[in-house]
Amino acid sequence: MSWAQAILLARGLSRGWGGICSTALTGAPFSQVPPQAPRGLRCSAVAHNPDSSLVPRPPEPSRRPVKALAVHEELFRPALDGTRDKANFVRAVQNFAEYNVHKRGHVDFIYLALRKMREYGVERDLSVYNLLLDVFPKEVFRPRNIFHSIFIHYPRQQECGIAVLEQMENHGVMPNNETEFLLMQIFGRKSYPMLKLVRMKLWFTRFKNINPFPVPRDLPQDPVDLASLALRHMEPDLSARVTTYQMPLPKDSPDTMDPTETHIVGIQSPEQQSALARHDPVRPIFVEGPFSLWLRDKCVYYHILRADLLPPEEREVEEIPEEWNLYYPMQLDLTYGRSGWDDYKFNIDEVEEGPVFAICVAGAHDQATLAKWIQGLQETNPALARIPVVFRLSGSSGELLASSSELEEPPPPPPEGQEEEEDSQQRQQQGQS
Amino acid sequence: MALVHKLLNGTYILRKCPKPRVVFCPFWRTHFADYCSSSFQKPVAAPGKAYSQRKTKGNLEEHHQREVALEITSPEDKPEISFDKAIKEEMKGHFRHLKDDIVNYWIGPEGRPLHEVLMEQAKVVWQFRSKEDLDKWTVTSDKTIGGRSEVFLKMGRNNQSALLYGTLSSEAPQDGESGRSGYCAMVSKILRGPFEMKRSYDWSHFNTLYLRVRGDGRPWMVNIREDTDIIQRKDQMYSYFMFTRGGPYWQEVKIPFSKFFFSNQGRIRDAQYQLPLDKISSIGFTLADKVDGPFFLEIDFIGVFTDPAHTEEFAYENSPELNPRLFK
Repeated sequence: MSWAQAILLARGLSRGWGGICSTALTGAPFSQVPPQAPRGLRCSAVAHNPDSSLVPRPPEPSRRPVKALAVHEELFRPALDGTRDKANFVRAVQNFAEYNVHKRGHVDFIYLALRKMREYGVERDLSVYNLLLDVFPKEVFRPRNIFHSIFIHYPRQQECGIAVLEQMENHGVMPNNETEFLLMQIFGRKSYPMLKLVRMKLWFTRFKNINPFPVPRDLPQDPVDLASLALRHMEPDLSARVTTYQMPLPKDSPDTMDPTETHIVGIQSPEQQSALARHDPVRPIFVEGPFSLWLRDKCVYYHILRADLLPPEEREVEEIPEEWNLYYPMQLDLTYGRSGWDDYKFNIDEVEEGPVFAICVAGAHDQATLAKWIQGLQETNPALARIPVVFRLSGSSGELLASSSELEEPPPPPPEGQEEEEDSQQRQQQGQS
Repeated sequence: MALVHKLLNGTYILRKCPKPRVVFCPFWRTHFADYCSSSFQKPVAAPGKAYSQRKTKGNLEEHHQREVALEITSPEDKPEISFDKAIKEEMKGHFRHLKDDIVNYWIGPEGRPLHEVLMEQAKVVWQFRSKEDLDKWTVTSDKTIGGRSEVFLKMGRNNQSALLYGTLSSEAPQDGESGRSGYCAMVSKILRGPFEMKRSYDWSHFNTLYLRVRGDGRPWMVNIREDTDIIQRKDQMYSYFMFTRGGPYWQEVKIPFSKFFFSNQGRIRDAQYQLPLDKISSIGFTLADKVDGPFFLEIDFIGVFTDPAHTEEFAYENSPELNPRLFK
């Protein structure tokens, strides 16, 4: 092997280095083989004669492998103005039909089009799927005699049809009569795509309305609208009011160097308001967050204002006075003997957490923005002015744990005198939680 | 020490082989060399990819704080393990368990008097109040097929709930056969009796599943599986969806057992039948909603109860078009 290497090396080197050191190399090829063999074989005539190098040059590692274009990919070239939308997609599909009458390669074209749908933003458009199914030649793939129907007639085309329907299923598009008619024309009634269509119609209708908390398909783009939708989604109390404490600055104003003006939208129900009014000013309340809420595919981060649980000895049971309702008693102390079969309660203490007083969605997650929220809340809850507020903001989102950064900001802020209080309160909290 | 480690490895390997006949003869294994246990968890290393049955159910997600049970350890730890002593303790534990089991059989089903079991209307099956409760669950994600989702399970705030959190990524693995990816799952371990006999839950007196959860708005899927050692039932499960509301309030989710639909190998079957409640092996939660991003789910407890207002037996009827054989 070494002599072959030597010959190749000698030839390569002599041609490559050419006039520079040809005399030295041709004079002693063998002595130079061992130390330079790997280098020589790899970098042959790079600089001077790329065409006449004997060994192929491996590609440089920095260059990504070039993807071969699929067969009809040039039909999906972006339009002149670079936009990719439904019209361009439709035009590309129609161009294929004009490309050849016999529609050769339609299976590959349909797979390619399915892959390109997401770029063009048409993956949830039923008419586009119908158009794509229209690309199949009709009446050719229908089984005509019993032998066709025993075996899977035209299996690749049936798989392609199933792939189209499967992409519809993934994006939640319900097929309609046109789809059914097309499939019947193309594949016949007993084919697998038709069977899949029947199954889709059955299971989609069964599962269409099972979400008890439905979210609209088209989410609002405006952050304030999205925030109020998110807050209404979270708060089960229907009498709660959504308040916008701060609107975001319009984007086209020239002095946007300071992005502190983000939107702050909050929600509070009347019950929470009264609970906050009754809250003991000795105990601090906490601003916790940010927690994530997903609405379909958009994530909204929210913060909550809550207090810790009172220890059992300090909890008061509210007694409704008897005169509150003269028509029937509000409390009945009847001791009916309930046997074991009538007990529907679970034998476990549920997790109890402190009351939540308000929820807000803000653009930024720092203390300044949340302080503005608290100030906005003070207008409807004057009791908040006397209660110390502690900010428990976790750095990472998605975890419901209190974490490190705790700062105190009571509304008139003298920090020194309050620090001892804060320490004792923290110790209290550690003891409680 | 290396020898001990190897022997421990050896026992673990023997245990992990799928042997369905083990279920029926627990006293068969008097031979010590054959005997293996899995409650002997801490110092044993997972032997690798040769055991496809348990691969997907194994503890593949390791939170860096090691709060879920370890399966990989270094041989330098814990030098005071003695093989014989450990085996003896294990055997004693199993015999004790067997004795309790026999005694409980005389008291009543599951060790409680019969009238109590018959009249029970609400039962807590899994609760999350301590670390041992977390050991009854395993978490998996699509890392097993080469995806990029991560999922972790730990105790929640105040040790009063379990927090399942992580990141979902629907980037498909480039292995030439998977087109889609992106799922995370938390599955309960199968109930074991003495000598690792498989036990199942009997919920035939109840008709609704009750979960107290706090999520982030994502839709989850609840799967119930029966005994999966039978080869025909390996991939079958009954599922339904659990929609979380999101927000800071705890949410009660009640799913009647009549709503669970049957699926095999991940596809809904045409022939649907009711979930049989008397031999339930495990329950699981899956998240696969094709949206990339972080997620979390906090679970307080899982229970079953009888909803007297729910009279439906089965929610899905079979259609003659899809199942002509059922209607002959």
